[in-house]
Amino acid sequence: MIDRLLERARGTVDNADALWRREEQTTVAFESGRLKAAGISEEAGLNLRVLANGRMGVAGTTAAEPDPDALLARARASAELGEMVELAFPTPNSQLLPPIPTYFEHTANASLDDLIRMGRLLVERLARPDCQINVAVEREVADTAVGNTAGARGEYRATGIAVIADVTRIAGDDVLMVYDQYVGADLPSDADLETLVRSVETRLTAALRVVTPPEGALPVVFTPAGLAAVVLPLEQALSGKTVLQGSSPLAGKVGETLFDERLSIIDDPLTPGRPLSRPVDDECVPSRCTGLVEHGKVGRFVYDLETAARAKTQSTGNGRRGVFGKPHIGYTNILFRGANGSAERDHTLGGGLLGDLDDGLIVDDLIGVGQGNVISGAFSHPVGLAYRVQRGEITGRVKDAAVAGNAYDLLKRIGGFGSDGRWLGARWSPSLLLEGVSIARR
Amino acid sequence: MKDRLAAAVKKSRADYTEVRVERTWSSAVAFRGRRLETATVSEDQGGFVRVLNQGFGWGIASFTSLDALPAMVTRANELSRAVRLEEPIRLAETAPQTADAVLELDGDVRGVALGDKKKLLDRYNTAMLAVADLIVDTQASYRDEVSEVWYVNSEGTSLYQLRPEVVVSGTAIGRRNGTIEKGLESIGLRKGWNSVQGFEPQFRVVAQRAVDLLAAPRVRGGAYPVILDNELAGVFIHEAFGHLSEADFVYENPQAREMMTLGRRFGKPVLNVGDNGAERGLRGTLPYDDEGTPTQDTPLIREGILVGRLHSRETAAKLGERPTGNARAISFRHPPIVRMTNTYIAPGKNGVGFKDLIGDIKLGVYACGAFGGQTMLENFSFTAGWGYMIRDGQVAELVKDVVLAGNLFQTLDRIDHIAGDFTWNQMGGGCGKGGQFPLPVTEGAPHVRIEEALIGGDV
Repeated sequence: MIDRLLERARGTVDNADALWRREEQTTVAFESGRLKAAGISEEAGLNLRVLANGRMGVAGTTAAEPDPDALLARARASAELGEMVELAFPTPNSQLLPPIPTYFEHTANASLDDLIRMGRLLVERLARPDCQINVAVEREVADTAVGNTAGARGEYRATGIAVIADVTRIAGDDVLMVYDQYVGADLPSDADLETLVRSVETRLTAALRVVTPPEGALPVVFTPAGLAAVVLPLEQALSGKTVLQGSSPLAGKVGETLFDERLSIIDDPLTPGRPLSRPVDDECVPSRCTGLVEHGKVGRFVYDLETAARAKTQSTGNGRRGVFGKPHIGYTNILFRGANGSAERDHTLGGGLLGDLDDGLIVDDLIGVGQGNVISGAFSHPVGLAYRVQRGEITGRVKDAAVAGNAYDLLKRIGGFGSDGRWLGARWSPSLLLEGVSIARR
Repeated sequence: MKDRLAAAVKKSRADYTEVRVERTWSSAVAFRGRRLETATVSEDQGGFVRVLNQGFGWGIASFTSLDALPAMVTRANELSRAVRLEEPIRLAETAPQTADAVLELDGDVRGVALGDKKKLLDRYNTAMLAVADLIVDTQASYRDEVSEVWYVNSEGTSLYQLRPEVVVSGTAIGRRNGTIEKGLESIGLRKGWNSVQGFEPQFRVVAQRAVDLLAAPRVRGGAYPVILDNELAGVFIHEAFGHLSEADFVYENPQAREMMTLGRRFGKPVLNVGDNGAERGLRGTLPYDDEGTPTQDTPLIREGILVGRLHSRETAAKLGERPTGNARAISFRHPPIVRMTNTYIAPGKNGVGFKDLIGDIKLGVYACGAFGGQTMLENFSFTAGWGYMIRDGQVAELVKDVVLAGNLFQTLDRIDHIAGDFTWNQMGGGCGKGGQFPLPVTEGAPHVRIEEALIGGDV
């Protein structure tokens, strides 16, 4: 499909690149402990970008048998209005694709019954008389082909699976929601599912008792899930796009130590077993690892082809594109590297960081993350799931409290890295102890 | 097309079958700073099949290749039969509907040149950039679509709906050294080209606000009397109560049902709340939902008392209530689930104004505009775009990072004054639930006063 399209583009426009992706998803859903629905979804789409008279244009289609000429005509019409840009499309020579397994046969071949069994096992293991349990199992198989008129090609088949458990406990007017998931390129092992069950149970059990929240500037342990509000500003600020636009607080600060020196963060599309790992990005650039923060110093920003061209640098292989619209910057797997690599693994809530806490919180979920003035680093959110810690012990769940701070200030000095590092979606991190987080309560 | 769907439904061996096919024509223009990002025209199309068999669960299939429709009906039937159920799924009775429902296009966007859309957005973007040198970046986007939806089910419903939509939005980013602030404008309508003209002043205002916020202090955390402007009051009722009134949250959960018993008091007599998918010309407006049920005005809270909830046919049957036309899907890629349409707080007494709300507040916060909101049912957040302190009954200094922490049982009950100045918020964006985002919805409200609400921040 791609070859035919690019062949047609050659000679008609200056340059072009294209992505074709076909996805097949199978889903089983348990609602309130009962299997309620099974579904499949099949989707294929083609995205074309052209450079015509130096101007960029894009077009996409989900038509079953796309007409290359019609797509090309739409992309050229888009280019007539488009901006000038000099894109350096990857060439076949630059294409030593790293070997990375993305396809797991027994995941692709798992039957509907296999997926149902997995869900049912979770439902049974999580069952409690006072709780409603929703479980979803989603398996995806995707074929991707990407190429350009410079002759570069990339093709791979990938699998992904997500197992999502959602527990709601309503007692009188108290609503408690605990959520966790397994996400991988390969099926979860029994041990993976057991970890998921334990993670939900641990957080549920510690939440049964409700206590008064503390107030003031206090130490807070952000769990891997709770860290989202702190990580999001960094993700935005480290994007080559915001740097280019002049709206990143990290622009011009490469090499400066702005964070705790034990903190390193990488973007790594080559981590085995992750659904976002792939040999090549959506613009045909070979995958590689990028050091975003290196021992507290601002490392490299991530770029796609266009932002790299405008910033006069190289793409970091972070191009991502959908069927419609033009390629944009996307992270792959984000991994936190910190101290504590040698310590014992500790999967208790708080990751072993509670010992020194006289009074503070564990924050596992905040409400409304991403809805404030994120890029500034400032955040302020009501707690969704949080626990009070007193004299090193969890005393219960707190409600009706709000935590606020600035990610840049808080990450200057990290009180401790937990021993509970884990994947949460596309991010691997341990819990972090951050000092001086503002806690307000009614 | 209807005939093609009807033929596929007729061949189905399942007890209940529904087929939805969508064809969406859309165009989009985006600027980032002074640079055009994209100007594109797209066509997206695909289908959705859902079947049910007695004693079995839902079988669902979605696909982009319409030739696969008959095969997908068969496939969905197999999937349904793989889901054995002891307690059967029932669907509430609805009268079969046959209609061609074409919403007013108000300037068919398909007939406007892409270059003209670029020019319009360029004007709005330039209006933001021209406000001050401190505006270092903008994001401006224009998106329109005309969606054709065909729906046929095995009970005799056969519908064609034409749904237009147009959204213009802009974010202005102001920066002074390390301080970065933003202002956000967003206009979303279920209309066309004519309805998004002449908004330059609004875009100037948000850019000026981003500049003003650079010098504004962060709000101090704590509990305050709070007045919400119309926009934030709308987001508030959506998050605070709208999601709780979606019956899929309660229908399988006895404890939740008890918590949300009809007749329970949730607010003072001044509070009236509803959801109206049949209101004309709003983003959440639809003649029929995605199960073919006509939309309606559904009262949810009347004089402080819970009187109704939002239903799909499945949740209505389970609770012995009537479907309300709230089963919606964002596209053919998804099944319909219970969603809001146009949710509102009804206006208070005619003549009650902002002055009546603020007069007796010694120290409080006037929270304005909305960056968003999210709910975990009992607790929820709603993030204001900006705010002012209220001092001695007067609007005082501008403050930023105003995020309210709400509690269903406490915050609703503390609404003690509602003004008469009702407006619908014609915003873009949308609502997210169950992986389906953004669903076009509208919120409407007058100014609302909460006796005491928690605001996050340094204490």
